[in-house]
Amino acid sequence: MPYPTDPAGIAGLWVAWLLMLMIYSYPLYKENLAFRFAEHTYIGITLGVSLIVAMSNVIRIAIVPMLQGKYHYIIPIILGFMMYSLLVPRYRWVSRYPIAILVGAGFGLGMRGVLIPNITQQVISTITPPATGAGAVDWWNYIYIAIGTICAVMYFVLTWEHRGGLGYATRLGRWIIMIGLGAYFGNTVLFRMAMLSGRAQFFLQVLKIVPM
Amino acid sequence: MSEELTFWEKLARIDRRVFYWILFIGLMVPFIRPLGLAITVSPSTRDLYEELRRVQPGDVCLINIAFGVSAWPECMPATAACTKLLIRQGAKLIIIGPYYDVDLSYEELKRRCAEDFAKLKYGEDYVYLGFYAGGEAVVAQLASDFRSVFPTDAYGTPLDELPMMKNINKATDIRLVLSSDTGDWCSYYIRQWRIPYGVPLAEIGIAMLGSEYMPHYRAGILFGMSVGVRGGAELEKLIGEPADATIRMDAINISHILVIIAVLLGNIGYFASRGKRR
Amino acid sequence: MSEVLRREVVYLITAITTIIMFVEFFFIGTWSAAEELRTWAIIIANIALGLGAVRLLAEHVRNIQRRRAGVWPFSIWLIILFVVMFLSGLTGYAAKHDPSSNPVYNWLFKWPYTSLGQTLYAITGFYIFSAAYRAFRARNIDAALLLIAGCFVILTNATVGEVIWSGIPVIGRWFLDYGQVPGMRCFLIVAAFGMLAYGFRALLGRERGFYGEVAGE
Repeated sequence: MPYPTDPAGIAGLWVAWLLMLMIYSYPLYKENLAFRFAEHTYIGITLGVSLIVAMSNVIRIAIVPMLQGKYHYIIPIILGFMMYSLLVPRYRWVSRYPIAILVGAGFGLGMRGVLIPNITQQVISTITPPATGAGAVDWWNYIYIAIGTICAVMYFVLTWEHRGGLGYATRLGRWIIMIGLGAYFGNTVLFRMAMLSGRAQFFLQVLKIVPM
Repeated sequence: MSEELTFWEKLARIDRRVFYWILFIGLMVPFIRPLGLAITVSPSTRDLYEELRRVQPGDVCLINIAFGVSAWPECMPATAACTKLLIRQGAKLIIIGPYYDVDLSYEELKRRCAEDFAKLKYGEDYVYLGFYAGGEAVVAQLASDFRSVFPTDAYGTPLDELPMMKNINKATDIRLVLSSDTGDWCSYYIRQWRIPYGVPLAEIGIAMLGSEYMPHYRAGILFGMSVGVRGGAELEKLIGEPADATIRMDAINISHILVIIAVLLGNIGYFASRGKRR
Repeated sequence: MSEVLRREVVYLITAITTIIMFVEFFFIGTWSAAEELRTWAIIIANIALGLGAVRLLAEHVRNIQRRRAGVWPFSIWLIILFVVMFLSGLTGYAAKHDPSSNPVYNWLFKWPYTSLGQTLYAITGFYIFSAAYRAFRARNIDAALLLIAGCFVILTNATVGEVIWSGIPVIGRWFLDYGQVPGMRCFLIVAAFGMLAYGFRALLGRERGFYGEVAGE
C-alpha cells in the first residue's frame, strides 16, 4: 500500500508498527507487559470482527431467505442456536443434535470424497508406467515412486510385526517418509521466512528506509 | 571445579535471542541492498501459467482467497499474478473466501491489480461474493447451488441482479478454480468440484501445501501449482511484472543461507562434542 | 427415554446424515433433499461460528470477576476492544450493509488487526531458525535423510542455491518433484483409509468423542 497521507492513516501505520515491536519484544527480549498488551489487543479485535462477520453471514444466508418465504429455515436456525447449550453444563447434551448433523455431513462428504482422489487416483498414478519413448530418468522416477509408495504404506501396516522381509520393506518405507518430511521441512522454512521477511520489510517501510 | 568448555559447547550455549536478532537484521539487509538473482520457473508453476493462458474471453473463473491477512506475504503475490493474467485473458472473475477477514484480502488484491481492475465493471466482469463458512459442506453446496450459499454478493445485491451471475449457479458453469490456501480448502475443492464435476483446479497457496498437494499434481488432479512466495516470484517473472515476491526473494535467499549455516554449525558442534564424549 | 434422546437419537441422526451425503454422490446434482440437508448444515455451522468468541469472552469476564493476578487488566482491555469493534461494526452493517463503512471499525481492522495478524503468524520464523540449529541433527540414518532432503530443498527454494553450485537446484528439484511424492502419497492413502474407518465407526455410533460426551453425563 502507498504511504498514507491522512492523519488517521499515518496514526494507524505507526500504531501498527509499535504493536509489531511489542509482539517481537517477546522473542527478541523476553515476556513482558507490552507483549501481553498487544496480544490481548489482537484477541479483542479478532473477537469483534469474527462475531460481526458471523452475524452478518447468518442474516444473509438464513434470516433473510427465511423472511422471504423459506420458513423451514427456522429449523436449522434453532439447531444452530442449540450449539450454544455447550456453555451450560447441564444442557450440554442438547448441542449433540446440531453436532450430529455437522459431523454426519462432514463424514458423508469426506468419505465419498477421499475414495477417488486419495486412493484410486493415487494408486493409478503410482502404477502407470512412463509413456513410450521415456528415458532412463523417467523410469528411475517411476520405479522410485512405485516402490517407495508401497514400502511407505507398508510402514503403517501394523497387523504383523515388522520383521524379516517386511522389516526391510518398512525400513525402506521409513526412509522414504523421512525424505518426504525433509522436503516438507524445506518448504516450511520457505513459508515461515516469507512471513517474517514481510515484517522486516514493513519495519523498514514505516521508517521510510525502503519504499512502501 | 567445572571443566573448561570447548568452542562448540560454548556455541551451543549461545542465547537463542542472538540468533533471532541475526535473523531479523539479516532479513532487512536485502531490502536495502537487493541481490537481484535470477529466478528459474518450476514445472508446476509453468503448467499453471500455460493453463491460465488457455482461458478464453468470457470464461468464468473462481478465485478462492483461503488465507487471512496474516498470510499475505506468502499467498498474495501468486494470487495477484494469476488474477492479472486471468483479467488479461478476458476471464470473468468470482472472488470468495472462507476467512472472516477476506474483505481486507479482497481490497488488497484489487489494490495490487489496480490497473487491470480499472478496466473492468463490477457485476459484469467480476463479482465479490465475500465470506463463506461451513467446511466441506459449503464447498459441496457451492458446486450444486451457488445461490443457497450466496443469495447476495458481499454488498447485499441479489445474484440475479448481477449481469455476470445470471447463468452461473453451479460448478459446471465455472471454467476453473484457483484456490490460494493456508489450510484444507483445496482438498475440499478436489473432493467436491474436481472429482465429481471435473472442474480444473490449481493450488496457489503456502509453501507447505506444495508438498501436500504434489501427489495430486503428479496424478493429474491439479493442473498446476504455485508454491508459496517462490511460486509468486516465478509467476511474476512469467507475466513479466516483477513485484512483491521478486523483491522478497532476496530476503528469502539471506534467511535460507542463515538457516543452512545454523544447521551446519549445529551438526558440526554435535559431532565434535559427541567425539569428545566418547 | 431421556437416555434415548441424549444418545440413540443423536447417533441415528449422524448415521442418516452420513448415509444421505455419501449416497448423494451417485445422484449428484439431482437429489434436492440432500442439498437441503447440506444447507441446514451450513446454517448451523455459521451460527456456531460465534460460539468460540462467546466462550473466550466468558473466560475473560471470569478473569475480571476473580481479579486473576497479572491478567485481569488485560481482560478488561480485551473486552473494551471487543465492545468497540462489535458496536462500530454493527453500526456500519446497519447503515450500509458493510461493517467497514464505520470509520472506527475500518481503522481497527485495517491497521492494528492486519499488523498483529501478520506479526503473530510470522513469529514462528524465529523458532524454526533456532530449531534448525538445536534440533535438526543427523543423529541416525533417518534424521540424516530428512536433513539432506531438507537442506537441498531449502537451497533450491532460495535462488542463491544455484549460485553456490549448479547441481543444487537439480537435486533439490528432484526432491520436490519426485523425492517427496511417495512419502506424501503414502500419507494421503493412509489418511483416506483412516477417514473411512473413522467414518464407519461414527456411522455405527462407536465413535463419540466429537459429541463432547462426558462420563456420567
